[in-house]
Amino acid sequence: MDTVLKIENLTKQYGRITAVRNLSLEVHRGNVFGILGPNGSGKTTTLGILLDVIKKTSGSFSWFGQPPTKEMRKKIGAILETPIFYPYLSAVKNLEIVAEIKGAPVDRIEPVLKKVELYERRHDKFRTYSLGMKQRLSIASALLCDPEVMILDEPTNGLDPQGIAEIRELIKQIAREGKTIILASHLLDEVQKVCTHFCVLKRGSLLYSGSVEEVNKGVESVEVIADASDMEMVLQGYPMAAKVVEEDGKYIVTLENGARAADLNAYLFSKGITISHLLTQRKSLEKQFLELLAESDNA
Amino acid sequence: MLRLLRIDLKKLVNYRAFWVLNIMYGLLIFSIPISVMEFLKWLKEKGAELDGFDPMKIPVLHFPDIWQNITYVYVFLKIFLAIVVIISISNEYSYKTIRQNIIDGMSRVDFIKSKLLTILLLSLGSTLFVFLTGLLTGFIYTPNVAVSDMFTGIEFVFAYFLDLFTYLVFAFLLTVLLKRSALTIFILLLYLPIEYAITGNLPESMEFIAEYFPLHAINNLIEFPFAKYWFQEIQDYVSLSAVGVVFVYLALFIYAIYAKLKASDL
Ligand SMILES: Nc1ncnc2c1ncn2[C@@H]1O[C@H](COP(=O)(O)OP(=O)(O)OP(=O)(O)O)[C@@H](O)[C@H]1O
Ligand SMILES: [Mg+2]
Repeated sequence: MDTVLKIENLTKQYGRITAVRNLSLEVHRGNVFGILGPNGSGKTTTLGILLDVIKKTSGSFSWFGQPPTKEMRKKIGAILETPIFYPYLSAVKNLEIVAEIKGAPVDRIEPVLKKVELYERRHDKFRTYSLGMKQRLSIASALLCDPEVMILDEPTNGLDPQGIAEIRELIKQIAREGKTIILASHLLDEVQKVCTHFCVLKRGSLLYSGSVEEVNKGVESVEVIADASDMEMVLQGYPMAAKVVEEDGKYIVTLENGARAADLNAYLFSKGITISHLLTQRKSLEKQFLELLAESDNA
Repeated sequence: MLRLLRIDLKKLVNYRAFWVLNIMYGLLIFSIPISVMEFLKWLKEKGAELDGFDPMKIPVLHFPDIWQNITYVYVFLKIFLAIVVIISISNEYSYKTIRQNIIDGMSRVDFIKSKLLTILLLSLGSTLFVFLTGLLTGFIYTPNVAVSDMFTGIEFVFAYFLDLFTYLVFAFLLTVLLKRSALTIFILLLYLPIEYAITGNLPESMEFIAEYFPLHAINNLIEFPFAKYWFQEIQDYVSLSAVGVVFVYLALFIYAIYAKLKASDL
């Protein structure tokens, strides 16, 4: 697999605060790589270093195996924190400046503005846009150079539900074209929905790095309700049940690896119990995330 | 190079304050010779107590005197262009667009170059304007125009350019250090009296260093010309040592801008 980005022992010190501590990571071509972490964990700082707006204290990183240059940045579409444009210029004029910097053709401006649905408002000044429109414009700007890599720092921040869904769809679509995306977010569910890989940062240190698929493959738990007095005993007797807990008349059964809700249903049926409610839950990224943070607190 | 200039001009041409300041500046340049002549005419009309002396005969706006005279006066207007430069650069900080420019693929050196090119263009444009205004005014007021006189003292136009360009680069440096426009303009205005206060209080043995202070050096390019009209000796040439000192400062300012931007988080 091609390595798009390799970070080695990256550290950023702000006086006594260590914003990024000895971070090493690899992102491969075609990954949609989520960076998770609580506020102040160093996500933006890391991305800022990768884009040369923040100077690292030590460590190194390379894009496509090459030391970072401005030419490399021209092939990256990136948004850091908030949308940044000249407030007194229109969307078109702003994108003309970006195109000029990136050496991107000016005739890309029209299609990208259409893609983010700002074409109607293209001649209005940036200052007059709503937050969501500003966010869309920065996505348009990131798409302008037909980038190899996109870096998005909380791209759905401030968007309406429809906007969020659209941006997510856009991200998936870009990912399907084989592009690499690096996405910093607090929204675990967003990462779970669009990312292939993710890492977790806390106070600048890397806690975990792995694929989202592994999380999705994780154990299933099943919530069941049935009108049977011996329910608990029957469930305890189920060989594939790892754990059974009762909660407000519902039973939550954590299954052994490999077992599925359908198996449990069949088992109960064979014991003469018909269930009135059954809900399957995968271990979510959110749970995993909170567990990781909790573990690191105990450590 | 041209691309970098084009990028910076795109940022400016739709910015209202840019035009307001430039137009005010242009109008002032154009109106000063006219007002001088009107003033002399007025003196003449009032001229009873001048012993029959005709103020219109003072060759203030005649070739070749005109070059040193007008450039000496015009350099006082450079503050207008300095404000243009300060706003153009402090905006990049307050809007954080300097950050986005780098993210999009400019290097920090590119950013400096693009701003320096705009400063160069402003200085050249202003110099050309001053040159044309001088030429036109000289033609109108010089009684018998001799081609040999027309371009005598033209080095003051070059000195004007150097004076303006260096001052604008100094304003660039101050903005990079202070970032906010109002503060920078304030400090820039305050700096001149501070420098003169320091040099004014130097011990006698140290007085010779005064001319090596940055604004002294810049101001030494074009010396005060009007004293000759009351028969005092003036320096009616551009001193090469002043040019040398100014070049050294120019290099220092640009290097300081580079050093500051290279190391800082944006
Ligand atoms: N310019 C700065 N000066 C001093 N400290 C800073 C600066 N920028 C960031 N920090 C500190 O670095 C740490 C990491 O900040 P960073 O912005 O990278 O976090 P983040 O993960 O992006 O957070 P969020 O989720 O809130 O966006 C924080 O403790 C922050 O206070
Ligand atoms: Mg952040």
